[in-house]
Amino acid sequence: MRFVFTVIFLLSIVSGRTQDTVRIASGLTPEQLAEQDYNNGLAAMKRTDFLGAVDLFNKALIARPTFDKALYNRAIAYTQLKNYQLAKADIDKATTLNPKNPDNFFTKSLIYLSENKKDSQQVSLDNCLALAAGHPEANYYKGLYYYESGELDKAIECYSKAIATNPSYAYAYNDRASAKRAKDDLSGAIMDYEKALALEPSQAFIYNNLGSVYRQQKNYGKAIELYSKALSQNAGYLPALNNRGAAKLENNDLKSAETDFEEVLKKDPSNSQAYNNLASVAILKKDYKKAKDMAARAIQMNEKNGPAYFNRAIARQMLKEEEGCCADWKKAKELGVTAAATYLNTDCED
Amino acid sequence: MKQLIAFVILFSTLSLLGQNVEFEKDNFPGKKDELKDARRQLDVGMEFFLQGKKEMDDYKRYYIGEHKFLPVSRYDYMDAGGELFRQALAPLGTAQKFNPDNARLNYALGVVFFNIDHISDAALKHFEKAYQLNPEVEFDLCYYLGWASHLQSKWDEAIKYYQLYLTKLQTKPKLYGMDIEDIAKKISECNTGKELSANPERVFVDNLGASVNSSFAEYGPVITADESTIIFTARRDNSTGGMKDERNSYFEDIYISTRQNGKWSPSRHLSKNINSSEHDATAGLSSDGSKLYVYRYQKKDGGDLYESTLFGNDWEVPVHMNRNINSKFHESSVSQSFDGRRIYFISDKDNGIGDRDIYFSDMDVKGEWSTAKNVGTDLNTRYAEEGVFIHPDGKTIYFSSKGHKTMGGYDIFKSTWENGKWTTPQNLGYPINGPDDDVFFVVSGSGKRAYFASAKQGGFGEKDLYRITFLGPEKKPMLSTEDQLMALAANPVSDLKMEAAVETKSAKLTILKGVVTDAKTNQPLEASIDLIDNTANVVLATFKSNSASGKYLVSLPSGKNYGIAVKKENYLFHSENFIIPEGADYQEYTKDVALKKIEIGSTIVLRNIFFDFDKATIRPESANELDRLIKLLTDNPTLKIELGSHTDSKGSDDYNMKLSDNRSKSVVDYLIGKGIAAQRLVAKGYGETKPIDTNETDAGRQNNRRTEFKILEK
Repeated sequence: MRFVFTVIFLLSIVSGRTQDTVRIASGLTPEQLAEQDYNNGLAAMKRTDFLGAVDLFNKALIARPTFDKALYNRAIAYTQLKNYQLAKADIDKATTLNPKNPDNFFTKSLIYLSENKKDSQQVSLDNCLALAAGHPEANYYKGLYYYESGELDKAIECYSKAIATNPSYAYAYNDRASAKRAKDDLSGAIMDYEKALALEPSQAFIYNNLGSVYRQQKNYGKAIELYSKALSQNAGYLPALNNRGAAKLENNDLKSAETDFEEVLKKDPSNSQAYNNLASVAILKKDYKKAKDMAARAIQMNEKNGPAYFNRAIARQMLKEEEGCCADWKKAKELGVTAAATYLNTDCED
Repeated sequence: MKQLIAFVILFSTLSLLGQNVEFEKDNFPGKKDELKDARRQLDVGMEFFLQGKKEMDDYKRYYIGEHKFLPVSRYDYMDAGGELFRQALAPLGTAQKFNPDNARLNYALGVVFFNIDHISDAALKHFEKAYQLNPEVEFDLCYYLGWASHLQSKWDEAIKYYQLYLTKLQTKPKLYGMDIEDIAKKISECNTGKELSANPERVFVDNLGASVNSSFAEYGPVITADESTIIFTARRDNSTGGMKDERNSYFEDIYISTRQNGKWSPSRHLSKNINSSEHDATAGLSSDGSKLYVYRYQKKDGGDLYESTLFGNDWEVPVHMNRNINSKFHESSVSQSFDGRRIYFISDKDNGIGDRDIYFSDMDVKGEWSTAKNVGTDLNTRYAEEGVFIHPDGKTIYFSSKGHKTMGGYDIFKSTWENGKWTTPQNLGYPINGPDDDVFFVVSGSGKRAYFASAKQGGFGEKDLYRITFLGPEKKPMLSTEDQLMALAANPVSDLKMEAAVETKSAKLTILKGVVTDAKTNQPLEASIDLIDNTANVVLATFKSNSASGKYLVSLPSGKNYGIAVKKENYLFHSENFIIPEGADYQEYTKDVALKKIEIGSTIVLRNIFFDFDKATIRPESANELDRLIKLLTDNPTLKIELGSHTDSKGSDDYNMKLSDNRSKSVVDYLIGKGIAAQRLVAKGYGETKPIDTNETDAGRQNNRRTEFKILEK
């Protein structure tokens, strides 16, 4: 998933704020031919024909070896092709040719991110920010790094810098909202999510995130409304459908919740979360056989689904399957479900 | 009899509402002969009924004279009139078949069923029918209607009829003072029942199965703290002597079943030493399963308590407990504290607080039970208490009471010893308790399960033994939800809404159990096991491992630094140390002990010698262990030993060597100071050179920090 988002971002670079297209005059010189190949390379990138793009950038660079923009964009094409080694070599050459370009460092940081080399990614981000302290994307990714490290205050600071440079940076608002939410600053989170939505009103995931804050506040009506908006933007956005079901369930509307979870499964029959949520519904309906069956399916779809083991343990306990129940609590505990550890201690033999 | 009861119940339910119909010819035109037959049956049945009712009323008067209040539970009538009621059933049933709409006959059948059928709702149906036909047919109809509704947990109906009866009684308050008090208590019980049944406890109630239960009555279960053994009373057709009582039930015998791999073994007679041709019933069991208390009844003693000890594979002949426990009154149900130094028991001896009360007695220095004391009004009421059980944690007591906040008859209550007194007893709630008698309830060491007897429908017959599993507060399911918290990130962050875990209240108790064997032959040994409070330097209790199996079980309530010393003549003692923090949850340790003979080269780790941190100063908690060592050296004057001290690997080699040297010298100096000849003792510091466990974990390092002694010469 990380790779997918990185690709999306790199493509956005290609199509947007990175190296410009070069205007070509008529009566082509070798220099101009290089520029033509370069422009054709960019067009290939946009078509996601990365191999074709590399070919065209190669031609441009044969004609003009110091063509730093071609080096830069070939690096991006290599990244899409997961040839990180060549990508970094190109970026390094581009940096040598143009050491003051912060984007070289930023792009290199994304290559490291694609390789999951976080320390190196941070060094590149720092190099980028040393050249351009307000670089919005670099600050954004710096914020992301801090968020994932649990350093929420630093994350919020970085997102704020990104927003200061680029007040239309919807994703930075979204992420800052999430950092505030993690700090239990729910009203701050709501304000930022709303700002993000004002900038990007078609993004289903932001509605979903905002809905979850309201669900956290037990404002189930508002939460359900926002999840529904997310679905109206993108009917296939299944997290919103699952979450809406969860909000309905927490609002004691079991029947409607069940319908949402079943709808998720119609669209994605392998959705482990929906199976687990149906297990939750069955537990609340005291239909423990069904709960056990649904949780088992959730586990079948994703054997790392800790809540599904937890729910199956509840069902098994009520079905008097003591051994199976304790085995499930043990597994849930291993998968990080802390409540399972308590029950393992109180309800199971050594 | 059962078929007859079923027939009468079936027939009577077929008759619906109607007017009171007397057994008169005008009401049954053309049925002269049938009417004649029915009247004859009615007369015969009523004769038995009235005699039975008189016996019952006479007993009630006697009861009131004794207790100064009315019978609280239907069992308080002690089956008075029972045989006559049983004889009344067949003729009354025949009359009822002919004429189901006679109010008086329905009333009579109600009273009969009330006395002889404690399971079905037959009594209630007849009383209801009588009330529909003629609410004034008998003065006390509403009393019985209230009570029969009460026993079926129909709280509101019961209150309604009790109120109606109360209105009648209040017309003559001086005459009916005690009845008024009784009805007020029953109304209060119904309100409690209503309140508690609205919030049922989360429990499983499971029949212990055919290995334990039979078509005969089983009751009075007692268990070991680890639930490995259950001993109980039953009235089976293989009863020793094969005698029956006036109710046609076999005399009581005591049976045992053991649990292996989660299943109960087929039950068997406990022992010929225990079971006689008279009644023999369980009264209590020590938590280690080595001492059984037996109830035996002889008219002259009113029912007394006896004590039997498990020796090897058999139980010794029960010994009558002394006069500080037994009296000419009724003694029953006894429970021993975890250390065996105190018993709680039930007696209705003179000068109590009410009916049967809970008493306790401590063991004196001679090992005799001292004068019993009443536990007082925190637990005892003017009504009866029964079935006392002191949990092995030493702080929690369970008992049944007809007083306190009961929902009818005996209910089971729990109280804990806090700040020098027993807390207000708490009703264990519904469905553990119900409107009828709930009594003889024992709890496992873990506190997660309990055992009791009940005459529930669906059992194997009569009363059966059941296991209660406490499930604790309801566990909420866990939802899977998902937010994409970071717009470009990476993995959508899973936002799992986790409910906080709810603590299931469990006992604060550690059970230590295992087998004591000879280290060389592996044969089981009967050894004495001292349980020592290291901080107070006192031996709390001494147990014995079983001579046949070598098994032992010791309960350790939390909050102490315990020393355990396993001793046997001609063997080196073995010591263990358990520091169990206050509030530690229930846990079970299995520790098999292999005792070594006193031979040259034998080595023993002294687990209860403690030093100040990083110093060689012996801490006072070590006194008991050192005294044992001195006794060993005094009893075996030719022994020459090496005292070796060991450290873990923290710190430098030199430092550890020096520290261990000093510590071994400290021990030797202590022994010399206590009169042991210096030439018999060698001090040796080994530092970290001889680990017996890993130094990578706390537990391993703790094992490595030790003092050992080794026999050099014998």
